Amino acid sequence: MNYDQSRIRNFCIIAHIDHGKSTLADRILERTGVMKLRDMTDQVLDSMELERERGITIKSKAVRMPYTAKDGVEYELNLIDTPGHVDFTYEVSRALAACEGAILVVDASQGIEAQTLANVYMALEHDLEILPVINKIDLPSAQPEVVKGEIEDEIGIDCEGCPLVSAKQGLGIDDVLEAVVERVPAPTDDVDAPLQALIFDSYYDNYRGAISSVRLKAGRVKVGDRIRMMAGKCEFDVTEVGAYLPLGYSPKDELCAGEVGYIAASIKDIADIHVGDTITLANNPAKEPLPGYKPVLPMVYCGIYPADGADYETLRDALEKLRLNDAALSYEPETSVALGYGFRCGFLGLLHMEIIQQRLEREFDLDLVTTAPSVVYKVVKTDGTTLMIDNPTNLPPVQEIDWMEEPCVDAQVITPQEYVGAIMELCQDKRGTFKDMKYIEGGRVLLNYDLPLNEVIYDFFDQLKSRTRGYASFDYELKGYVRSDLVKLDMLLNGEQCDALSIIVHRDRAYPRGRSIAEKLKEAIPRQLFEIPIQAAIGGKVIARETVKALRKDVLAKCSGGDITRKKKLLEKQKEGKKRMRQVGSVAVPSEAFMAVLKMD
Amino acid sequence: MKPLAVYIHVPFCARKCAYCDFASWSGREGEWRRYFDALVTEIRLWSGITDFGLLKERFHVQSVFVGGGTPTLVPAELIAEALELCRRIAPFDADAEITIEGNPGTLTPEKLRTYRTAGVNRLSMGAQSFDDGLLRALGRIHTAAQTVEAVEMARDAGFFNINLDLMYGLPGQGMAQWMDTLHRAVALGVPHISAYSLILEPGTPLHERVARGEVTVPDDDAVITMQRAAVASLSKSDYGRYEISNYAKPKSESRHNLAYWYRGDYLGLGCAAHSMLDDCRFSNPDALDDYLAGERMADVQRLTRWDVIEETVMLNTRTTRGIDLTAWENRFGRPFASKECAALKRLAGAGYIEIKDGRLRLTGRGLEVQNAVVLELLEIQEAMER
Repeated sequence: MNYDQSRIRNFCIIAHIDHGKSTLADRILERTGVMKLRDMTDQVLDSMELERERGITIKSKAVRMPYTAKDGVEYELNLIDTPGHVDFTYEVSRALAACEGAILVVDASQGIEAQTLANVYMALEHDLEILPVINKIDLPSAQPEVVKGEIEDEIGIDCEGCPLVSAKQGLGIDDVLEAVVERVPAPTDDVDAPLQALIFDSYYDNYRGAISSVRLKAGRVKVGDRIRMMAGKCEFDVTEVGAYLPLGYSPKDELCAGEVGYIAASIKDIADIHVGDTITLANNPAKEPLPGYKPVLPMVYCGIYPADGADYETLRDALEKLRLNDAALSYEPETSVALGYGFRCGFLGLLHMEIIQQRLEREFDLDLVTTAPSVVYKVVKTDGTTLMIDNPTNLPPVQEIDWMEEPCVDAQVITPQEYVGAIMELCQDKRGTFKDMKYIEGGRVLLNYDLPLNEVIYDFFDQLKSRTRGYASFDYELKGYVRSDLVKLDMLLNGEQCDALSIIVHRDRAYPRGRSIAEKLKEAIPRQLFEIPIQAAIGGKVIARETVKALRKDVLAKCSGGDITRKKKLLEKQKEGKKRMRQVGSVAVPSEAFMAVLKMD
Repeated sequence: MKPLAVYIHVPFCARKCAYCDFASWSGREGEWRRYFDALVTEIRLWSGITDFGLLKERFHVQSVFVGGGTPTLVPAELIAEALELCRRIAPFDADAEITIEGNPGTLTPEKLRTYRTAGVNRLSMGAQSFDDGLLRALGRIHTAAQTVEAVEMARDAGFFNINLDLMYGLPGQGMAQWMDTLHRAVALGVPHISAYSLILEPGTPLHERVARGEVTVPDDDAVITMQRAAVASLSKSDYGRYEISNYAKPKSESRHNLAYWYRGDYLGLGCAAHSMLDDCRFSNPDALDDYLAGERMADVQRLTRWDVIEETVMLNTRTTRGIDLTAWENRFGRPFASKECAALKRLAGAGYIEIKDGRLRLTGRGLEVQNAVVLELLEIQEAMER
């Protein structure tokens, strides 16, 4: 097919979780023939085991499909699959920026739900044409007419002629494709202008090096061109360009304005590719980069240690492999008195952190001990110098600190009206500052708060979900640093400070947090021969105390007929158990205890 | 010549108790004869030249224990024949302690006479409790009255060295019940009492009942209270605690028991029987059919220096005499711990151990957490070995 922008349609699919986004994507791939039925697994685009299992998309993906519409013309459809979580909001926004339209999938029996709205607003922000699609019409409880009415009333999108489908049974898929062709606008980019390619994803390929997934907003690019990353400020020679197939690559001579595809340029380090950056040509650069670039900075840090010290090398190799594909992940070696050798890792948010931990454990069969997540604090010392601290252990002594600042986010919560009170209470609890409240379509309210990031990463999201039964959606953006009365909370076991358990916390929060951590440690640390005092302290002043009482009974009564094998087995088991524990001074602490501290109330 | 303890296993019972996971079977009367034939063959083998030489030239038998199962269930003549043959393995000491384990419900004056003639001089009876309700719940076939009767019957037959096994920590057992059982055992005037706390073994009916929540067992605190009550009450009646679960009047400690805890040589005969000769451990198969099929001496394990250290700590510390530190130094060529050992001092300071008169022993409190104390002592040994 020759290059013709009028025949290109770039779109994504947005939906509330479980409304059938991945299944619809599967059917579209199947219908356009890019995937043979026999090659189909469920949720083709969610290739990671974790993605399939949790039903969330973690990485953006694009796939090009030829489609001959009823008008007899062959179109080039580019479906861009986007991640679905607040940690990846920025990635989502870049993927949306690569599209002209979005299919909005709504469950015919569930109707509009919390995420539906959040997604729609994000799509509207990027001026996308929204195509509502009612899914799961095969269910007995399906009420497509009611749901259509809901969409029209609450979102204000015309549902006249909107496709009614059952992705599961493959019904109505043609209508969806026709609607994409008819209603999603074709790109109208200037192919003769200097190259501007928007990077909306990056990943690592063993043969091609780090690859950029791009949408060309202007110009063209071909093999041999020297490209320049406008924000990254580095240059590379293009080795391959092309489009994506569901399970592979389709190399092309060149990519032109309006098209979606990939650019490979033997890039060794994925860190050279920044999502949101603009690629241009070195010898004919664009005047301006595309708008909206933000460097991706880790927001949350935690220590990751192998449960068995002998696995340190395995952990390092595993992090290196994950990092190849994940520019947002950062790690550096660190040591802890309690936990030995490990890594300080940076993440986009808590979900990102959890995903990395799970992948390390599953894909690399590692047992991990992780420390409490921390944000990056700014410390201004009395000598006028400034430090950035992502590990409480590195905090200078109190007398050297002039003041401290913590990162603050601009948080937006969209909620049905009835939960406004509960959310305001929550934000107040989390040291939030009220900024604004707006009534929006469908009886919903947009609340705007400034919140300290360390409260957000603690348990804000869980609390929000439980207090609004999942109806509120939440989004945040780093705003900057504000001065704050922060203290370092230390935990002492039998009088010895345990570095891996220290956290930085607002002074007003220190007492309840200290008490809660002490209580949890008490549950997590098994009784031992000696009583173990657990203390929470700020600068040497004890603010909470618990005690693990001495072991009561641990003895085998009988040993029959000289058979001591059971005793030996038990002894071996107990020795093993003890070996797996971390020695903090004279106290043996099980790995679970470090995790218990992370658990919310 | 080294002293040897001989164990003979009789894996038959009238009925399997609800808590029991030992090698024993009920309702296999047809195999009794075959089993004893196999046992006799095994005894003959040990009477000739073995991997450990000719035992009669190296050992003298200090004790024999016929255990089970319920050895008193099978015809007494079978036992007598086996015991007689055992004398060919190695010469018996004139005062060898020869014990038969039995169930009160299975004893008769005739059986007792036959044992006596065969040289048996000690009886160990599974009384378990003097509460008939509890006995029924455990699946025992006897009553409290039968225990009293059996003790009298034994004395009439000339047995005065008698042990009663008692159990605590049983489902539904209260403190008063336990004290009553202790008092009634003491009132019978037997010189030896074993008091075991119940261990719920996976796979037993009782374990399942507890897992399903049908019955509950007393918690750790209650069990410790019962155990402490046993120590206090028995010591008042002149029974000294000489091992975690064993109490005896002066000079009535079981020599056979002590052989296990002090790692003397012992030879186990019959199905599931364990042996240790010259620091080599081995055992016969647990399954009766395998034993009958002629399988012998499975799991041969030559103990390393470290194994012996571990076992010595683990087993010696079960007794109230504890570890003989001079013997330790002679055996291992180094002291048990350095003079300034902080870990040892900490254990002593907290009242778990006592070092006196060249011995290291666990205190009453230490015995309650013996497993944990052993782990600490072994960490000291690991350091000493380095």
